Amino acid sequence: MKIKAKQKGDIVKAKVLIKHDMLTYDQAKKKGKEANFITHISAKANGKVVFDFSTSQFLSKNPLIKFSFKGAKSGDKLEITYVDLKGNTKTESKKIK
Amino acid sequence: MKRREFLNFTVAALMAAPMIMLGKDFRKEKPDAWTSKAMDDAIKKVYGDIKPVEKGIKLKTPEVANNGGQIPIGIKSKIPAKTVAIFQDANPEALVGIYDVMEGQPVDYLVKIKMKKTGSVTVILEGVDGKFYSAKSSFKVALGGCEG
Repeated sequence: MKIKAKQKGDIVKAKVLIKHDMLTYDQAKKKGKEANFITHISAKANGKVVFDFSTSQFLSKNPLIKFSFKGAKSGDKLEITYVDLKGNTKTESKKIK
Repeated sequence: MKRREFLNFTVAALMAAPMIMLGKDFRKEKPDAWTSKAMDDAIKKVYGDIKPVEKGIKLKTPEVANNGGQIPIGIKSKIPAKTVAIFQDANPEALVGIYDVMEGQPVDYLVKIKMKKTGSVTVILEGVDGKFYSAKSSFKVALGGCEG
């Protein structure tokens, strides 16, 4: 996961790149693999959820998401968590610039 | 000492992980919506029988997507929102994703999606005021992104 977050005035702009195959049911069938894709992405700062996204197989491979949020400033930590269809969870955090 | 600190930290992080999902999991809340094939049907399964007003949302898509596997979809709105959902009509199922907008947080999103062929994207915004807003964009997809 690559996380970038930068304070700009009273908001923080975040950019997250997640390494994931995002294999759709169709693609999985062709490749003889099991479908697996990210189903939920969530972001937390200062103990509060600031971003929450229920997702499907149609996010791109290695999906990129961008969002803005309030309630944090430079030096705080932004924590990103995702869950995929197989139940794998990954959490990473980054200091806001 | 350092090693112990690291271990403690790892244990704490592992224990904290399941607590993080505090937003709504729309896959659990609206399980039918994710298997809907037609866009109208998917919208109905998420929001019910709604008549959204087509205003207030800035939807940014490419005019021609050269790579159907990496189509940037930008959504911006000043309307205080509860949820924002993305639908498209080029793939086997219509629903792409639902944002659960936390109280007071701005709607300013970008997500890269994949589309199999030329089609359109519809965004529905559920306002805090209980009203629904929408935006639609049709564009060409030069190379489908679901084959790969």
